[in-house]
Amino acid sequence: MTTNDIANHETFTLINSVHDLTKTVNKLFASDLLSNVMGQTEENDCLITMLNNINVIGVASLNDLSCIVFTQGITVKKELIDKANELNIPLFTTTFSTVDAIIALAKLDGK
Amino acid sequence: MSDYLEEYPIERNDIGNAGTIASLTKRELKKRGFSPQFIKRVTIGVYEAEINVVIHSYGGNARIHIGDDLCEITFCDRGPGIPNIENAMQAGFSTASPYAIENGFGAGMGLPNIKAVSDEMTLESNEEGTQLFMKFYTQQ
Repeated sequence: MTTNDIANHETFTLINSVHDLTKTVNKLFASDLLSNVMGQTEENDCLITMLNNINVIGVASLNDLSCIVFTQGITVKKELIDKANELNIPLFTTTFSTVDAIIALAKLDGK
Repeated sequence: MSDYLEEYPIERNDIGNAGTIASLTKRELKKRGFSPQFIKRVTIGVYEAEINVVIHSYGGNARIHIGDDLCEITFCDRGPGIPNIENAMQAGFSTASPYAIENGFGAGMGLPNIKAVSDEMTLESNEEGTQLFMKFYTQQ
């Protein structure tokens, strides 16, 4: 599954401007605790979260995550979008809960 | 390549810039061609220590020393200190403020994560401040 596959799925909306949607997603990782994300994620993982603050983008960049999916229909702050644009990290939103987003993404990934 | 040695100030509650030192350290390690596993260990250690100074202290500084065989990282702050280091080292134990928790911090995993990724870790603390020393050896 690539980030482009997520962008083309009806459940997920790409909300920022990135020039690269070719990355292959390694694994799905859901958490709202940054230490957990920092310590447990690997390169090209997809982070699923409701955490709407700038440090999410920082951690995604530090761990070279492939993308971030914000759940429950939250309105992602502009500062996050601007920073993600700068770092070329795709941001997606969905009205799904975190659990339902994981299920949808796992199905998309053929699991 | 000559050693890299930099000191960075850290401001209290400056959550917007938290992670900057980790990012700069990672960039320097990548430039020097260290393995991804080594870079990840050091980056996690620096990130967690940086966050701790931001959310728990009155401010402080970081000293990053990268050599060919060893990275030595020191974080010092100006208090208020850790009342009980044994408790602080337990996974899940946290005294973080509601402000820190709202911003995704305060999971109580910072110091346990640092211990897990570093080769050597020393923590000293009193009311005047806390000093954290980490060593990462490039050859295991």
